[in-house]
Amino acid sequence: MLAQLISISSIERPYVALGLEGSANKFGAGIIRHDPDGSTHVLSNVRHTYITPPGEGFQPRDTALHHREWALTVINEALKKAVVSMHDIDCICFTKGPGMGAPLVSVALVARTLSLLYRKPLVGVNHCVGHIEMGRQITGTQNPVVLYVSGGNTQVIAYSQQCYRIFGETLDIAVGNCLDRFARVINLSNDPSPGYNIEQEAKKGKRLLPLPYATKGMDVSLSGILTSIEAYTADKRFRPDGPSAEDGEDIITPQDLCFSLQETVFAMLVEITERAMAHIGSRDALIVGGVGCNERLQEMMGIMSRERGGNVFATDERFCIDNGIMIAQAGLLSFRMGFETPLAKSTCTQR
Amino acid sequence: MQTFRYPHFPPELSTVHVALFNTVTNSADIRSRIIRASQLQGPDGDTERNALNFAFIDARLICSLLHLQTAIYQAVLAHAQRSLRTKTVHSEILWALNPTNNASIRRYGVSDTATSLIVVRISSPDLPDVQQLMTSVVSGTLSSLNQLPEITDWGTVKKYHKLNDEPALKAAAKNVTQERIVVNEIVTSTVAMKSVSS
Amino acid sequence: MSETKSASLRLLEASEKISQGAEAKIYRTQLHDPVSLSESTTDGDRVLLLKHRFHKQYRHPSLDASLTKSRIAGEARALIKCLRSGVNVPGIRMVDATEGILGIEWIDGKSVRFLLGGGAEDDEEVIEDGDVPEGEDDEAEDEDLLKEYGVSEDALMNMIGTEIAKMHQADTIHGDLTTSNMMLRHPSSPKGLQLVLIDFGLAYMSTLVEDKAVDLYVLERAFSSTHPASEPLFAGVLKAYEKGVGKNWTAISRRLEDVRLRGRKRSMVG
Repeated sequence: MLAQLISISSIERPYVALGLEGSANKFGAGIIRHDPDGSTHVLSNVRHTYITPPGEGFQPRDTALHHREWALTVINEALKKAVVSMHDIDCICFTKGPGMGAPLVSVALVARTLSLLYRKPLVGVNHCVGHIEMGRQITGTQNPVVLYVSGGNTQVIAYSQQCYRIFGETLDIAVGNCLDRFARVINLSNDPSPGYNIEQEAKKGKRLLPLPYATKGMDVSLSGILTSIEAYTADKRFRPDGPSAEDGEDIITPQDLCFSLQETVFAMLVEITERAMAHIGSRDALIVGGVGCNERLQEMMGIMSRERGGNVFATDERFCIDNGIMIAQAGLLSFRMGFETPLAKSTCTQR
Repeated sequence: MQTFRYPHFPPELSTVHVALFNTVTNSADIRSRIIRASQLQGPDGDTERNALNFAFIDARLICSLLHLQTAIYQAVLAHAQRSLRTKTVHSEILWALNPTNNASIRRYGVSDTATSLIVVRISSPDLPDVQQLMTSVVSGTLSSLNQLPEITDWGTVKKYHKLNDEPALKAAAKNVTQERIVVNEIVTSTVAMKSVSS
Repeated sequence: MSETKSASLRLLEASEKISQGAEAKIYRTQLHDPVSLSESTTDGDRVLLLKHRFHKQYRHPSLDASLTKSRIAGEARALIKCLRSGVNVPGIRMVDATEGILGIEWIDGKSVRFLLGGGAEDDEEVIEDGDVPEGEDDEAEDEDLLKEYGVSEDALMNMIGTEIAKMHQADTIHGDLTTSNMMLRHPSSPKGLQLVLIDFGLAYMSTLVEDKAVDLYVLERAFSSTHPASEPLFAGVLKAYEKGVGKNWTAISRRLEDVRLRGRKRSMVG
């Protein structure tokens, strides 16, 4: 599906869409309504996250299991909150990809079943485009450069020559992945999310430790930084439980590591975003994806954008983190332009 | 003698005096005076060091005025930023000229047998009679800087900068003028970036 | 807080600002001001281009300082490597790593982008759909530009391919090859007519075929997005490049094919 920025034709009656998202460890169901006067309303946005114990990541099979266990509860709650029944829905939107295979498939299964049961058209949605469309909708920004940063994605995207183009990206791992893996190394809690806890710990950090800064033109490489920050935990100056009475100045705390990791990685992301902005002549930046909730990242991006005479746009955790509403939004836009996914083609694509 | 201005530097570093002396007869004497002056204590030592407060450079190893000015500039910059690697701004010029970190003074400074010397003084704009201060130390013929190209020992320059096996030199080997342009460029650029070369 | 501004910043204040990019501000200046005009460096030698990598407020100060220093160092080292390898690049005239200033030789000439009729560097990069292709008048103008330099388009492409080949043979990757980052030195300058590669701010060392192929691909894309009917032009570049890299061409050309298929910047379909 190519997202097009041509003006969409107006509608004569309200349209309602259900969006289902489950490409990673969150299952979300959202219901959105487009009105004839051009306004958009979020009727409900419900989500349940599969949280693993500290030190553990989430595996595809267990995640798919979680989604299957929670799908109907979450969808029913979304319908209840929206005061809408399945019969009122115009289309069922679901994440086609990219994401983790098994969880994606379990959500697609629910979508297909509902589609058959209630005879509603299916709309497959690209997860990334979902983030972008929701970001644009919530913040009202017209044509920003988009930094899409999550556990599975790190890309700088801009609209150019009739479609979204990737201008820069990670050459290896996603920034969310990098942060999550580091959180495991220092045994941070995964509740509510490892990234959130890194952000809180970073605020207490004092030392900026040297880390490899790896931007390559418009791209970034994060695996080297992960190796280095992990190496610091083996450094004899490292104090996993904070400084003790006999310690002098030259010690390293987990807070220092969180601080250093954020400052370095976020500076790299802001730099490649700025490069793209300079290249296409844009002044605004939009951050989407789970890592976009991070206030330090928003702050840094804001400083850069304002220096260029523009602004940074970001949404809060309702919309940054994977959710069903963004799928509903992107899906409904496509549907209104005549797009539909036939049952036979409603498979999932991991990449 | 020529004088150059750098108004953006602090006044005491803003004026550079450069002179070329040919047919120098007292190089050995100058060199031993410098060594002795560094060891002398007290007011006598100060007077002697003041009299020798110049950079004495073997003119054979200078490719062009730009080459020399680039080294002088980097030395003055280091002094202005309090990041001298040697004792004085004058000794720093010799360090800047040297592509390695060893034997700066021995290679680029005054040797017992040097016959052409470049003398440099960095000062404030109002230092009087600089030329006279120079000629009172150096016994030689004060010459125009335009004569520099005739003095350059290109073979030694290429050797010290390890240029003989470089593709750039091989490409220019057939044309002497062309080769000298290439050598001057590499040497000047090397001097300019020595502070970040490793 | 220092009471007096640093010398280099005062130099910038007295210099002529030429342009500003995301990473650096560019100035034109003259150094080595002689008190009397008799024995001095030629005016050409005194003119410098200053590249100031200015402080980025969003970065932590110590990260900013170390990054600025290492980038100035990286660019200077790439230039020296190229100079020693016989690649035409600007010479280095001054380095102030603390303030993030690199002073290089002022090149008297025009960018290849300009000479091919692509407009000045600040003009819109992307050609919108529906743009009128070059008319006869424009072509005549382009010929005039190159005529003044005494070089044909074909010869120019040849020079470009030759320089890039020398650079890659020295295992140096430019990282941002565009027609804005190449200049033709005016034949009247002391070094004569030369194709000069500039702006090594993203350059790095690499022996990898992949990196060289991507370097070429970036230029190919730059040609097609800035200059109409660019395929024959770029073909000319590759022909000269092939000659310059000799037996390394097979591997690089194969990889270039792969890179083209992958598409360096993908569009989002899915």
